[in-house]
Order: sequence, then structure tokens, then C-alpha cells
Amino acid sequence: MKKMRGAVRLLVALMVAAFLGTGGWIGYTVYTQGGRWAANNMNNRLNSRRKSVGMGEISDRNGVVLAYTDGEGRRWYAKDKNVRRALSQTVGDQMSMSGTGVETFHAGTLLGLSGSIIDRTRQYLSGDRYQGDNIRLTVDAELCAYISQNFPSGKEGAVCLLNYKTGEILAMVSKPDYDPERLAGRQATADTTGSGYLNRCLQGQYTPGSAFKIVTLASALSYMQGGPDPGVESLTFLCEGPRSFGNSFVRCYDGEIHGQMSLNQAFAVSCNVTFASIAQALGAERLVSTAERLGFNDNFAFRDLILYESTIPTRIPESIELAWTGVGQGRLQVTPLHMAMIAGAVANNGVMQTPRLIQRVTGAKGTPRLRAAPAPYGQVLEVQVAHRLRDYMAYAVKAGTGSRAALKGYRVCGKTGTAEVSDDKSVATNAWFVGFLDDPAHPYAIAVVVEQGGTGGKAAAPLAAKAFKKAIGLLGA
Amino acid sequence: MARSLSHHAMRRALYRSNTKVLMTGVMIFQALGMLLLALKTSPLDTQALGMAILMPLVTWLSLALYGRLFRIDRALMLLFLFLCSIGLVTLQDIARSPETPFLQALYTLLGLGAMGMGILLMRVLRRWDRYLVPLMLLSLAFLALPLAMGSWKYGAKNWIEVGGVSIQPSEFGKPALILCLAAGLSGRPRLTKCLPVLGYAALLCGLLLLARDLGALLLYFLTTCALFYAATSHGLLTLAGLGAGSGCAVAAYHLFPYVAQRVESFQNPWSDPLDSGYQIIQALIAIGSGGLLGLGLGRGFPRNIPLYHSDFIFAAICEEFGVLFALGLLGIYLVILVRGAGIALAARSSFHALTALGVVILIACQTLVIVGGNTRMIPLTGVTLPFISAGGSSVISMMGCAGLLLGVSSINAHDEWEDYRRRVAEEEP
Repeated sequence: MKKMRGAVRLLVALMVAAFLGTGGWIGYTVYTQGGRWAANNMNNRLNSRRKSVGMGEISDRNGVVLAYTDGEGRRWYAKDKNVRRALSQTVGDQMSMSGTGVETFHAGTLLGLSGSIIDRTRQYLSGDRYQGDNIRLTVDAELCAYISQNFPSGKEGAVCLLNYKTGEILAMVSKPDYDPERLAGRQATADTTGSGYLNRCLQGQYTPGSAFKIVTLASALSYMQGGPDPGVESLTFLCEGPRSFGNSFVRCYDGEIHGQMSLNQAFAVSCNVTFASIAQALGAERLVSTAERLGFNDNFAFRDLILYESTIPTRIPESIELAWTGVGQGRLQVTPLHMAMIAGAVANNGVMQTPRLIQRVTGAKGTPRLRAAPAPYGQVLEVQVAHRLRDYMAYAVKAGTGSRAALKGYRVCGKTGTAEVSDDKSVATNAWFVGFLDDPAHPYAIAVVVEQGGTGGKAAAPLAAKAFKKAIGLLGA
Repeated sequence: MARSLSHHAMRRALYRSNTKVLMTGVMIFQALGMLLLALKTSPLDTQALGMAILMPLVTWLSLALYGRLFRIDRALMLLFLFLCSIGLVTLQDIARSPETPFLQALYTLLGLGAMGMGILLMRVLRRWDRYLVPLMLLSLAFLALPLAMGSWKYGAKNWIEVGGVSIQPSEFGKPALILCLAAGLSGRPRLTKCLPVLGYAALLCGLLLLARDLGALLLYFLTTCALFYAATSHGLLTLAGLGAGSGCAVAAYHLFPYVAQRVESFQNPWSDPLDSGYQIIQALIAIGSGGLLGLGLGRGFPRNIPLYHSDFIFAAICEEFGVLFALGLLGIYLVILVRGAGIALAARSSFHALTALGVVILIACQTLVIVGGNTRMIPLTGVTLPFISAGGSSVISMMGCAGLLLGVSSINAHDEWEDYRRRVAEEEP
């Protein structure tokens, strides 16, 4: 009997542990995923509720109304057409065409699905129409409209600008856009062929091109620093045109030959041969490890928004594929917002902030429901590495390919990218600029993509400078 | 005078333990929940109103009856009744036709009868080894019935129709399995003596596999392993058994497409949201919509979930009552687990200890399997949430199992009372 009692105790302890684990799992999974599930467009509750509930209001950080419902239950969007279009995918629409939009992803909040018992009772007693919660976003409507209007005309792409200290997204613009007003009645036809509904900042999975050299350099600075071998920063590199890796060649953009140079210069002129060699010396394992620390291959489950995954293959064959990966041309996919977050982490002493789109949620009568606070995603780079990287990125803007991003009176740091999207140059390259302002009063990080825009230095960098300037003017010190 | 007082106190402590607060709470929940649902519809829902009055009454009466007759653990019985009433209130609210909660109420009454029978069996029958072989043969025959005369339903062949009522033999096999294992494994038998009863359990599992009742199969298997370990303390052998079971599961995954499909829709339900992933996605959406505090009783739309009244009732409860309540519900099962384990530990004979343990393990495993399935923690296997899901066979057999556990508690109290009397008699000859 005594032995049996011991066994019984063990079994019951196991079951208790299983119960606690299950409870923990439920709490965790509902906390992290619950909003996503509720916002799914297969949720019939939302549609039946839209008819009976006054949907809450969406406004920008300054209180500019972006969406509201009138007394008859019709949904209206921002008065200014430019604002409406610039924020179309960010705000979303009543038909959930932009699946990542606030109107869809936060429909549960806007419809007051989980409103407090006190509010429900009050509204029940007063006989008022049930009113959902109001959401104030972190974006600045004017800044978004400005960026949208200054985007190279006729081009597609994305710009996102965030505060790297707090993670607040200040601007998120995706081109082409659409007018959500036309979808408000649930019958009118849309004015876009479909790709306008995509929020390219969150859902666009692009080849990063040379903008990825930030990651390669971060990995080199972390792993090839001193020890028995000379540190990577004390080496000189030689670029004599295309260099063979295994069975193929890596060449620099436009067939340039950079000659002998330091690491600093190689980064500034974006020498492919040098970075292919660095990737080769690092090895796939270390490069992937740095990228994964920076958030690659993480199935981001942020509370405020849906951000698609940035991916790097976990096993990269040595030689040519690894070489091209180090240059940003391998089987890599990144989202613009994630690139802005990486730039922000470099600026913020290696700490990446969780991106935030919701500033606060208030009940219909103004009772605060949620006031968001910054939450770090993690220390993704060592402090020294982040500081060194910042200096490299500053030099790339001061004397390198990113010179058109420079802004008088401010220290702009950044990296351009010119991503090949076809093997035979039949399609023009995607232009990238990823960078930040090194300024404690204006801690802004940016990522700009202009699809088929040509080189990053010419097409993307000038827009970044303009956006920074406007943001400084609008958001002040 | 002083002695009779302490006698009295001892009696109370052993037999009755003060459960007034718990009982009042359960009765208030039953009355208020049903009253709320009665007032929801504009001509008063008379069925809900009737239940609002009858449920507390039945609770009070059955507790008084069994408490006085058998000196059972009253708190534990109240918790079982509480779970049943959560099920009834939820069903009254969400079921498409009022017939479902009405029938469920009838089944629960039958279940109370089964509970009484369970207690009585434990109290009256002491020589279980005599009935072991007949019980084994009977339950084997019973479980084989659906294979002979049943029909496929939801991909399993585990139902039989008797006079217009469908019965699920695998549910009624549960108490039989526990009793047979407890009888066959009691008294620390040598390994060879365990073999017949283990073979019997394996046969049962084989029948369930033929019927494709994978949920029940899993529960039978886990209960058998747990009882074998408790009875023999053979850790390595038990682990080997569990390993063999896992091996069979992997083999099933490769052999049977329907098992592979279950796992597939568990791993990535969103890849096929309208077909194989539909159930679990609708469950998750319901849970997410409910949030922390739920949409409120009568305010949710759980009928969007397939099988919302049986396999997915946990998701429906999450939607209506909220995740906090659902966690509290898990807490109730946890209390039942711990208190039931206490009964098993206090039992004087290994047969009784094993019976109590078997019931407790079965209830706990079944809860975890279905709650984990509902919340996408593990692949979904269709079993009921004990005492709560709609289904006559399930609630009657579960109440019967609960009766066995309460019966052991009653025997324990009786034994302790005898001890006390003997001690007192020795002190004052």
C-alpha cells in the first residue's frame, strides 16, 4: 500500500502539472492570438454585430478622425481624400478587403465585443444604441498624406516610419492605395485591381538586396571581432571585378570595380564582392543566427498589427548561394516594417521595440480601456555592435550610396539597396533605403521601397530625407 | 455530556463536513442562470423557469439523500452537480431546440440514479474478484455490439440504437474497465497475474480501434497505464507501454488517412479553413470573440461552431462566460482531481484505492484531452467534456464513475468511524 501511495502521488502530481500547463496554454494563446481569431473574416459574429452596434471611431495621434459611424449606421472615413487614400490599407474598410487593416484586425474592439459589464448595463438601461470602443492610432495623418503625395508618381511600393525608442509607427504608406469610402456601402465597386488592398509595409515580402548588408555587417561585427584572427574591421578588401564562388560569380552593381578599400568604404559603396566574401568567412550558421536574432523566421504575433514573416533559409548551401545571401540576393524575404525595425534597433543601442499602431482605446463615454506602453522585442544586437554599425551607416549616407538621404543639420544613418527581382534584368530593380535619424529628440527610423524604381540611392533615399524633414516639422521636438 | 458532544463533532467531521456555503452557491448559480435564460425570451421560457426551481431542489434532495444514506464526501458530490448544472445552463442557452437541454436534464436525473448505484455497489459488494470474469466478458460483448449492429457517424462506428435511443457502449465500458483493472491488479500481483486483465484492456482498445473511436481509445489506454503503474510500481514497464502506445499512434498516423488529416488540421488549420480546419477555426474564433470576460450568457453565437453542444462545448463556454470562467472551470476539475486523490490515498484496500484513482485519472485525462483539443494544444479527438457536454451515455456513465469514487469515500468514512469507536471503547472499558 505504501508503494502504491507513492505512485498515486506521482500520478496525481503529473495530472496537476498537466492541468496547470493547460490553463497556462489557454491564457497564453488567448492573450497572444485571441484578437487575431476574433478578427478573422470567417467570424460571422462581426457581421451580425455590425448591423446592431455603433462601430467605434478611429483617429490619428492628433485626434484627426479617420473613420466613424453616423447615427444611421453608415461608416465614413477621413474627410481629406489624400489622408483617406494614404491610410487606406492601415485603417482598412468595411468589406475587409485590406485584411490587416484596423477595421478588420481590431473589429472586436471597435464593435465592443469584449466591453465591460458596467458599460453594457448602462447602455442597456439607457436604451442607447450599443457603442463600440474608439481607437486612437499612433500614425500622423498629415505625415502619411505627405509621404503618399511625394512617392514617385506611378510607382508601387511602401514607406514606413517609426519612432525607434517607443516602437510607435508614425507613418505607414503603401502604394497603390484605394478609397475605403467606396466600400462602405458594401455594394459599390472598388477602384483598384486588387494589389491596392495589400499593405505592402506589413504584407509585402521583398528581396532586400544590399539593404541586407546591415545584417551581414552586424553578423561580422559580432562574430569576427579580434580573437586569434585580426578583427574584420582591420582588414582591407580588394575588389577586382566579378569573383568566383564555387560554380558561379558574384559581381558588383553595374559591373563596377572598387579596388582596394576598408570595410567602412566597402559598406558605403555597397561592394558585393566584399560582402560575399564576408558571408563566406562567417559561414551560414552564424549569418542565420544573427538574422534570426534580428527577427527573421519569427512568426511575429504582435498585439497591434499583423506583420508577415521575414524569412532566411535555415540551411544555406556554401559557396555561391551563401555568397549571394550575404549580399541580400539569396532566398531572402523581408517586409518593409521589419527592415525599419532593424534600423531602429541599430539606432536604439541594439534594442528592438515591438511595433505599435494603437496609442489608446477608450470606451464610448471616454473611459480609458487601454493605454499602450512601449514593449521591447529584445536586445537583438550587442551595444558595441549597434554603435559601430551606426557609424558605418552614417558614413554610407555621408560619403556613400545613400548621400541623397542626407539632411542638413541632422545625422542621417542608412543603407541603400538595389534588389534584383529577375535573373535576366528584364524587370527593373527594386529601390530600397533603410535608415534612421541619429538624434535623441527625433528618434525616427524608416524603410522605403520603390518597386522597379531603379537604384536605392536615386529613387528611395531622397524620399527618406523628405519624410524625415516633414516628420521633424510636424512632430516637433 | 462532554463525551457525547465530541462524539457528535467527530461524526460531523467524518461524515458530513460543512458544505452549506458550497451548496448555497451551487443552488444560486442554478436558479439565477436558468432564471436569466427564462427572462430572455419575451413570452417567458417555462422550461427554463421550471429548471430554475427544480435544479436547486434536486441538488438539495439528492445531497441530503445520499449524504445521509452513505456518508459520502458531500463537497465532491456538489462539485459533480455543479459541473452538470453548468452544462445544463449552457445547453439551455445555446442549443437549437429546447429538447436538447430537456433530454439532458432527464439524463442527468438518470445519472443521479447511476451515481447512487455506483455508491451502493461499492458499499455492498466486497468480493470483487468473484465478479471479475463475468464483468470482463460482459463489457467486451457490449463494446463489440456497435461493430455488429451500429452505423457510421462522424467517422466512427460507436453507436447502437435501442428502441429509438442511441447508446454509446464505449461510455459505459469506462466504469467496467476501471472496476476490472482495480480488481485484477489489486493486492500487488506478480507480473504474470496482471496479464489477463491487461489482455482484456488491450482487447477493449482493439475493439475501439475497429470502431475508430480514437478518443475513447486514448482514454482507455491512459487509464490502464496509470492503474498498472499505481498497482505494480513498475515505472520502466509503464514507460515501455506508453512508448508502445506512442509507436502505435505514429503508425496510425502513417497508416490511416483520417488520423493524418486530424494532425494536419491541428498543425495548420488555416490552410484549409472551410473543410478540414473548419471545426477548430470556428472554435478558436469563438474563444477569441469571448475574450477574458465573455460575451455574456445568451449573448454569444456559439452555434457557428460545429458540434457546439458536445465536443466543442468548452469553446462555447469560453465564448459566453469568458476565458476567466473557463479557467475557473478547469480549476473545478483540478479540485475534483486533488480531492479524489485524497480519497484514493485514504482507502484501506488496494482495490478501493485503485478504483478511486481510476475514476480520478479518467475524468482528468478526458477533460485535458478535449480542452486541449478545443484550444489547439493537441490534435482534436472527439470525447465529451465530462458532466457538461450533451449526451446521455456520457453523463450517465460519468455519474456512475463519480458514484464509484463517492462510494470509496463513504467506505473510508465508515472505516474511520469504526476506528474511532474502537479507540474510545479501549480507553474506557
